[in-house]
Amino acid sequence: MNAAPINTTQPNATKPSATKPNGLQVNLRRTIAAKRRRPFTLDVEFSVACGVTVVFGPSGSGKTTILQCLAGLLRPDQGNISISGELLFDSARKINVPAQQRRAGYLFQELALFPHIAAAENVGFGIRVNGTEKKRIVHDILERFRIAHVAGHRPDELSGGERQRVALARALVIQPRFLLLDEPFSALDDALKQEIIADLKRWLEQARIPVLLVTHDRDEAVALGDRMLLLREGRIVDEQDLAKNSYH
Amino acid sequence: MNWPAFVLTARLASLASVILLLVGVPIALWIAFSPRRWKFLAEAVVALPIVLPPTVLGFYLLVAFGRGTFLGRWYERFTGSTLAFSFSGLVVASVLYSLPFAVNPMVAGFRAVDQKLIAAARTLGAGRGKIYRRIVLPLAWPSLVAAMVLSFAHTVGEFGVVLMVGGNIPGATRTLSIDIFDQVQDLNYASANQTALALLVFSFLLLCVVYGLNLRAPFWGSK
Repeated sequence: MNAAPINTTQPNATKPSATKPNGLQVNLRRTIAAKRRRPFTLDVEFSVACGVTVVFGPSGSGKTTILQCLAGLLRPDQGNISISGELLFDSARKINVPAQQRRAGYLFQELALFPHIAAAENVGFGIRVNGTEKKRIVHDILERFRIAHVAGHRPDELSGGERQRVALARALVIQPRFLLLDEPFSALDDALKQEIIADLKRWLEQARIPVLLVTHDRDEAVALGDRMLLLREGRIVDEQDLAKNSYH
Repeated sequence: MNWPAFVLTARLASLASVILLLVGVPIALWIAFSPRRWKFLAEAVVALPIVLPPTVLGFYLLVAFGRGTFLGRWYERFTGSTLAFSFSGLVVASVLYSLPFAVNPMVAGFRAVDQKLIAAARTLGAGRGKIYRRIVLPLAWPSLVAAMVLSFAHTVGEFGVVLMVGGNIPGATRTLSIDIFDQVQDLNYASANQTALALLVFSFLLLCVVYGLNLRAPFWGSK
């Protein structure tokens, strides 16, 4: 299998570049009103270079909130977020690029596949070209993630691994400028998890985009990550270099 | 069975239901997804016909349709007839009177759509129109059908508003529910019973459709 990026001919798409770093700069604050506990403030500042940065921490420490702020699904109270020097959010300058214009690949923990449409339509949802070109792009990525045989099946007809691959293909086919993974492998058994991580690594070898992986599974963090940020109660309390992966 | 009244009621209910679908969807989408804090005012206005005595609504509509108002004069200038005591007036009154029966099920259906799906669509570049068209409306279709069915049934059964706004003109504004009232006034119980029984069975069947659709709804659960 060769899960390398394909040309999706997205308008305004930033093609993965071998020379230009696509770094993500994050500096944000947001109050989190958690259930059954006192509210606390998420206050983080970090940068994500090409490769996988893991945000590691216990449940309720603000990991998913970071991803949602980066994707534009939540608005930080203060701070700024930029990708390759382009501002996505800046509270001082009142800039807030809407989620639909950020081109963030987001793999949700619950996958959030559209239940009423087939796998191929799920994958093609974010592609802006139409007709045969769109069909080709969808077919290519389904082939690369070994799910072409389930193209016409709705999500409730797929296995856990197939659903995971469809969700991953859907997030990657739009040629995201950065990738956000929210505990994406937590529901999979170890063998399947390793397979999908291998697929993702092969893709990232060529895509060279910043990836933020949220997890509380240390093995998953080590398997995929280059660097790990330890988050507690909304603060980064430690940063670790992980064993280097070969895709960056 | 008074067949002219039957045909008129069916025409009225069909037209009102179609108009309510067209008008109700944008209102329900706005109520379901708008972040405006004051949208509760709009919700209260839409729900008013549920708690308002039909005669109150009928009275104000009758006043609004008269020559003393801009609406009444405007309608008469363009059509040459008045809205009051006409079939068109009945349609307008029915749409307003059945508005909550269309909008409320739609709002409930739209709000039940998993927010994660909407978030996923946004990250995939979809704007509001595409999200409504491709995600929300297809997933909430049982609530749209329920809204149509309830609007239709409620229009068929309305009495007070119809009597106030339309009067009781045979062939023009006399609906089945008014016909039953007339038959009872004339002590023609057998005929009244025939019409009432037909409406009873019809209402029961429509409610079976609504509750049957509710059973089918979990089919679209997010995986």
